[in-house]
Amino acid sequence: MDLKEAVKDKIPWDGTLPLNEFSLSASTFSDKWKMFNHSFPPWLWNPCPKHHLNSSHKVEGYLSLENVCLVKSCEEEKNHGSLSWKAESNISQAEEPFDHATLVCPEFEANHYDFHIVYSPSYRVPVLYFRSYYSDGQPLPLSEIEKDLPGHSAELLLESKWTFITQEEHPYLNRPWYKLHPCGTRDWMKLLLSDTYTSSNKNFIEQYLVSWFSVVGQVVGLKISLEMLNIEEKKLFETTASDIFE
Amino acid sequence: MAESKSNHQSLLQFAPMQSSVDEGFWHKLSSLKLNKLGIDDSPIPITGFYAPCSHPRVSNYLTLLAESLPSESSEASLIPEPSHGNRNRCSVPGILYNTNTVESFSALDIQNLLKEEARKIWDDIQSGRAVEDCSVLSRFLVISFADLKKWSFHYWFAFPALMLDPPATLVNLSPASQWLSIEEAGSLSAACNEWRGSKSTADIPFFLVTIDPNSRATVRLLKDWEACQSDDHKILFGFYDPCHLPNNPGWPLRNLLALISAKWNLKSVQFFCYRENRGFADMSLSLVGEALITVPQGWKDAIPNAVGWELNNKGKKGPRRISLAQSMDPTRLAVSAADLNLKLMRWRALPSLDLSALSSLRCLLLGAGTLGCQVARMLMAWGVRKITLVDNGKVAMSNPLRQSLYTLDNCLNGGEFKATAAVESLKRIFPAVEAEGIVMAIPMPGHPIDSKDQDSVINDCRRLHDLIDSHDAVFLLTDTRESRWLPTLLCANANKITMTAALGFESFLVMRHGAGPFSSAGDLSAETANSSSSDSCGKDANGKHRLGCYFCNDVVAPTDSTSNRTLDQQCTVTRPGLAPIASALAVELLVGILHHPQGIFAEADINNSVSGASENPLGILPHQIRGSLSQFSQMSLIGYSSSSCTACCHTVVSEYRNRGMEFILEAINHPTYLEDVTGLTELMKSATKFSLDWDKEIDNEDEDEDCFEI
Repeated sequence: MDLKEAVKDKIPWDGTLPLNEFSLSASTFSDKWKMFNHSFPPWLWNPCPKHHLNSSHKVEGYLSLENVCLVKSCEEEKNHGSLSWKAESNISQAEEPFDHATLVCPEFEANHYDFHIVYSPSYRVPVLYFRSYYSDGQPLPLSEIEKDLPGHSAELLLESKWTFITQEEHPYLNRPWYKLHPCGTRDWMKLLLSDTYTSSNKNFIEQYLVSWFSVVGQVVGLKISLEMLNIEEKKLFETTASDIFE
Repeated sequence: MAESKSNHQSLLQFAPMQSSVDEGFWHKLSSLKLNKLGIDDSPIPITGFYAPCSHPRVSNYLTLLAESLPSESSEASLIPEPSHGNRNRCSVPGILYNTNTVESFSALDIQNLLKEEARKIWDDIQSGRAVEDCSVLSRFLVISFADLKKWSFHYWFAFPALMLDPPATLVNLSPASQWLSIEEAGSLSAACNEWRGSKSTADIPFFLVTIDPNSRATVRLLKDWEACQSDDHKILFGFYDPCHLPNNPGWPLRNLLALISAKWNLKSVQFFCYRENRGFADMSLSLVGEALITVPQGWKDAIPNAVGWELNNKGKKGPRRISLAQSMDPTRLAVSAADLNLKLMRWRALPSLDLSALSSLRCLLLGAGTLGCQVARMLMAWGVRKITLVDNGKVAMSNPLRQSLYTLDNCLNGGEFKATAAVESLKRIFPAVEAEGIVMAIPMPGHPIDSKDQDSVINDCRRLHDLIDSHDAVFLLTDTRESRWLPTLLCANANKITMTAALGFESFLVMRHGAGPFSSAGDLSAETANSSSSDSCGKDANGKHRLGCYFCNDVVAPTDSTSNRTLDQQCTVTRPGLAPIASALAVELLVGILHHPQGIFAEADINNSVSGASENPLGILPHQIRGSLSQFSQMSLIGYSSSSCTACCHTVVSEYRNRGMEFILEAINHPTYLEDVTGLTELMKSATKFSLDWDKEIDNEDEDEDCFEI
């Protein structure tokens, strides 16, 4: 498909999403998600007043989907285990009454994931941030996270020109989070959406995040229901999504 | 009415509460400790959060977040901020004992601490406070030790549970959807969702459920107990159950039963374990059960025993430890940020970038002056981590302006040694660098030494030999020509990648030395046995033309160039822009060599060579780059090795191999020795027989070679 010809008489679009459209796009996205994606909890909007030099007086924010659990089997080694407590003998266990009422149960280990969709003012695109932790709160190293990613994703990350996991400071939480680096985003968003773009197409802005997530979500195994895309996009998605990952 | 699941009585066993500490809690605690508390280790009131289980296979945990700790602001006293609970976070009060040492951590009297918290719960039950503010039933305790040097945290939770003695027995337990009728289940679901959806009740973790004869369920506060006594209503004691197990209720029920027994003296208790699925009430995950309490008459007169210390990951009674160095240690964060930059470069622009080759490369920098400082910084920017600097000088007052690793502090009190100051500076820039500084002079030919100094000079020579052997790439960045001679010889002997950078007033030279005379492209590590072919045209064992070294173009040996020169020529002056340019080119050239399949044996490309550009993604690999600031130009040249080179020719290197230090000493002490050995003397004699242009060319070459570095 030669997109260039199709957009010839339209205003050339650079693949970005303007800042003031982000919250609108975000609410469309979370509404559609609630409607069509029942296997997941809903995305929540977290407002954050932040002082930017060039920001409007609108409150900024980000979308969050937290505590998505990936349950592991018992046998998997908990390699984040605590140090063996050398001074265990110090603790006088004899004094505590034996308690029959406490259940001794094998625990399933689960990896918990938090996902945030944050707007990047410098790239002018949304960025997917994520982090993972064990049930007791200890963060997972990237090597473990990679094991949780869908099979094709691992190769994607090595070879793809478009997606790359990096660790950087979360812009609002001031802690290192992982993110899919945004520098290729505008290029593949252009590929994906140029055809439907017109500057007056309100629907397009609303759909931006949905379309964006249809690609990005796959990397981290969050599939959206295709119902969330409208008909033109569905067609487009099928034809161009594979291009994007070449 | 649905049938009960089982009728026989067994011990009621509760699934223990489990802890989950968000990274943010540790960050905040560290910050609080460093900025506000200092060594004050009095107990800190904290807030924990939990919610009903919302997943069929994963329990909910009692969570500590950054918000669990009191604010750091100095005006606020040490109380937790009034917690705004919401439906996902019921707040419960807790207390944190954070010790200053690991010894005091293990010395804490955990039995007494538990008793103390249990007493608080008991007092709240007796006084009625637990009915008013039921979250106190889930009060908890944490002991911790924060090791802020290693960024690791030892901690241990206790969830005090008052023990019924004898323990309660379970009459039956089944999913709520089975125990309730369909209408009742529907009504209860709706009532719970409303309770959970309302801001005023969403975070109240214990409640009453009444079901009227019309199957209408109502959720009420615990304190309405007396008011809702009615014969035809079913009453359930409900609580948010974090546990997901189908056959056991969660921990919070324990203290609820203790409350019910002590306050209202019930023997038979119908309880409701409230659980959700994806945020909404789920009657098949929720459980309804009946418990029998058989405590004796005087049970509530004395405080019951309590249990509740959490088991660690290994299932043993002991503390846990978490290491957050990866996300909190600034050095590690710096390393991963640096790696990120390089990885981005590889990902976006240069997929064939060999980052591991760069990070494992050992670089030796001879000279820590203008060139040395810049080269070191450039190397670090490329991801090189192992850098050794050799310089015997001290930082002088004029140095910081042009030598980018030094500041005024380094010049005081006579000046620090450059080698040491440079290493400290590198570590301040990037703590993970493995840098070493060596204060040592490089022995030079034409600078004769006294016999008393002979041993120390021999030592220095040996040391230099070993240094070159133990590194992969050597940079010659010293300020005289003759100081480059010995390193060049040693590098040619060991076949090490050697980069030369030299400065004139407004011109510079950057070059990579060719392979050594005994080297073979097929066997890089050792000399080949058949390298006996002493070539007269500078070929290596493979018969290929070796590229030249810094001295190959000389027709005079390096001699004492520093005496008999005026001051301004001696303490050289160069245009400041030269050193950064030359250093940068030297490092880029090195990176090019590392990525070239033939490495040190790579043939030289010149600017307009097309084939070179397509092979190596980093571009062409010249031999020499000569640049001029006055012209703002540079060009690449090729110079092949000379069989009479005083530093790298076959003869000289053989002499070194055969006679070692004896040979070196002769070269140092006798100005013309090298020329004799290489036959240059003869060459000169025959040359002077012919006059004219030949001499003029020599003069021009001499000037070019008189490159000094400040």
